[in-house]
Amino acid sequence: MRKIFLVAQREYLANVKTKGFIVGILFFPLLLTVMIAAPQLLERTRSARRYAVVDESGWLLAAVEQRITGTDLGYVFESVLEKHDEGAEQFSQLPPILQNLVPVLRQLQPGQAFVFARHLVAAVDGGLAVPGAERLPQAARAVAVERGAAILEWWRGLPPSEAKALSSRVSMNRFVRVNGTGSSASRQAELNRRVRDGDLFAYFVIGADPTTGSEGSKYVSNNLTDEDLREWFGSNASQQVRARRLESEDIDPEVAQWIQEPLRFEALKLSESGEEEQIEERDTLRQWAPVAFVYLLWISVWSVSNMLMMNTVEEKSSRVIEVLLSSVSPVQLLAGKIAGIAATGLTLVSSWLVFFVLGTKFVPRLMGAPPSLDLSSLATDPTYILSFLAYFILGYLLYAAILVGLGSVCNTVSDAQNMLPPVMLFLIIPLVSMIPIGRDPNGMLAQVMSFIPPFTPFVMMNRAAGPPTTMEYVLTTALLVLSIVAALWAGAKIFRIGVLLTGKPPKLKEILRWVRAPVGMVPVRSDRRER
Amino acid sequence: MNNALTLTSVTKRFGSVVAVEDVSVSVPYGSIYGFLGPNGAGKTTTIRMIMSILYPDAGSITVLGSAPETIKDRLGYLPEEKGLYKKMKAGDMLAYFGKLKGMASGEAGARATKLLEQFGLGEWTDKKCEALSKGMGQKVQILGTLIHDPELVILDEPFAGLDPVNVEIIRDLILELRRRGRTVIFSTHVMEQAEQICDYIFLINKGRKVLDGTLAEVKSRGDQGLVVDYDGDGSVFRRLPGVRRINDAGKTAEIFLEEGTNPQEILKQLVDAVTVRRFDMREPSLHEVFIRAVGGENDA
Repeated sequence: MRKIFLVAQREYLANVKTKGFIVGILFFPLLLTVMIAAPQLLERTRSARRYAVVDESGWLLAAVEQRITGTDLGYVFESVLEKHDEGAEQFSQLPPILQNLVPVLRQLQPGQAFVFARHLVAAVDGGLAVPGAERLPQAARAVAVERGAAILEWWRGLPPSEAKALSSRVSMNRFVRVNGTGSSASRQAELNRRVRDGDLFAYFVIGADPTTGSEGSKYVSNNLTDEDLREWFGSNASQQVRARRLESEDIDPEVAQWIQEPLRFEALKLSESGEEEQIEERDTLRQWAPVAFVYLLWISVWSVSNMLMMNTVEEKSSRVIEVLLSSVSPVQLLAGKIAGIAATGLTLVSSWLVFFVLGTKFVPRLMGAPPSLDLSSLATDPTYILSFLAYFILGYLLYAAILVGLGSVCNTVSDAQNMLPPVMLFLIIPLVSMIPIGRDPNGMLAQVMSFIPPFTPFVMMNRAAGPPTTMEYVLTTALLVLSIVAALWAGAKIFRIGVLLTGKPPKLKEILRWVRAPVGMVPVRSDRRER
Repeated sequence: MNNALTLTSVTKRFGSVVAVEDVSVSVPYGSIYGFLGPNGAGKTTTIRMIMSILYPDAGSITVLGSAPETIKDRLGYLPEEKGLYKKMKAGDMLAYFGKLKGMASGEAGARATKLLEQFGLGEWTDKKCEALSKGMGQKVQILGTLIHDPELVILDEPFAGLDPVNVEIIRDLILELRRRGRTVIFSTHVMEQAEQICDYIFLINKGRKVLDGTLAEVKSRGDQGLVVDYDGDGSVFRRLPGVRRINDAGKTAEIFLEEGTNPQEILKQLVDAVTVRRFDMREPSLHEVFIRAVGGENDA
């Protein structure tokens, strides 16, 4: 027992003190941060798309511009309120014309800032009526009439950099229209050239009569993957065309909106006492939280048992193993190694868990999620944490036994890497079935896979929100423990022969023969001799 | 019980290959016992069985009066395939070997430091093993074998890869062990080394014992030969009549005569062709014994 402890202690210290381990600890949180932050950063660095519009209709471009201005102003109004709520310092830097709007903005319903902004633009520039404008508070309608012109004049005179500073979501951050209101066909040839040269991202041609149909309207670009501009401009144009059609058919926009209103089914769930309850975002997340744990579990089990394998191969290739075997038995050595790496793994995984919990506590807040979305209480749910740790230990033991057996017959790290793909192929399965099982945690697939021991840890973790019945827990765990005992027994037999073996790694058939042979017997392929 | 090690009819098979067959040998306490044999003869397998890393299929092994697996802590073993943990400090490495043999942690650490000092490696105590040269690494390994002061030490090719200075240091170490009453088994295929320090010889070939006994006994079994130290063109040896075998090493040669050949005649012919510095009659070298035993068997 003391020898097992000595081996484990050395194994733990040797692994924990490496740079690789520190990197490993930081790797996971770094990966998460990069995965979350990178798309946003990339979005920010993307330069604004330059586009031109050839308007054959004579009215639609102006209408679209109005709508875009209204939307941009809406964003600005929203951020005025946000800044007012957050703190005096930022708010005091806003231009007075915006500061004065706070009392009016306060009276608006959520989302009404856009209606107000569009209505303000329409009130000044004329044009199509804005749906919902009648429901704006009286004060807002008055402001639109009295101060609208001044606000629009200020806004249109604002340099783009200052406009962007007011709200990150204004359109000029992403799309910039360059002059091009001409309508002659010769201009299109000129625009084609500019698109080809990369000077323009794309240009639009609006057909002569867009209210009748799409004839003559087109979008020309050499970029086939980024559809944002087409969708954004297209939806603004469609809105305005729709409004025009309603007007020409003399249909009240309110009526039109009501006609289009879908029938909504309120989603409810049954509480444990059988009462109907509203479903909150939190409940959905609770259902999906295990998936995050499965992912973490998968990475942990795989990387830690891999660590054991590589460690065994390195020990073998450094030829220190026979010296050790003169002092400890192979089984003691194996037990010590498995225990030492388990301790290393637990240290690693616990630190990841801490990062994970801290991450769920602070990251959503940084990304603007409401405080009511309490992710960290999900992440620290004892059922999840305890099942995670239990399944980590069980999963690690199973895969450790398999990989240490494989590792012991390899002489170099590259031999070992050649052995990994089949194991990997098998291990992909619980990862692929993660989402289907998350959707249906007590379904057929989930139940069947729970009883396949190599999948049990991942699948049962996956089902934690179900949750599975106690009977299932007992049976699957018993089966898993039996498999671990069998795998350790076979792994130990392979290990005690494999570690002394030099030369080409044996075939699977030979390894299976070792497992079947009685302890102490060492069957070896007939074409090699021991010295 | 006056034997440190007794093997009785030990047989070990790997599948259809017989690695060691019906080998019996006794190693007395306080002796230096050489295990000799060509590559693949079964030396390492025999040693692994003594260390209970492998188990014999038949026969029995008694080490220090007990079954081998029960007294691992009283044995020291330097395998042929040896290595150190690259990232571990030399001092920690030695101490770890000691602790695995049952030494208390503090004692092992203190003794590791002392041994490294004693063998001129003091400044390496806190250096990682990967920084050691091959010879230094080997010295650390040998010290690791001895740190717990074992009663029986088995050294598999301890001199391989060492320079003459270190060979001497290790040889002195082995002789010192015998002086203190320890038993040393060491395997080699360099006959000169074995001849210099062994009290007993055990020769194995193709898994079978070829001969064993004291060095003197083994050598006296072979017939006497002429030893000639010379300078000049050695091709003359091939023209000598009445000669059965010659081991010509360039500056010195061992000549075995056929029945009835007069050594005086041989000397006469030699002085005409080369400068003879020494010419005497004596027991065959271990090299000759080895070649004859192994070669003869191979011819059969």
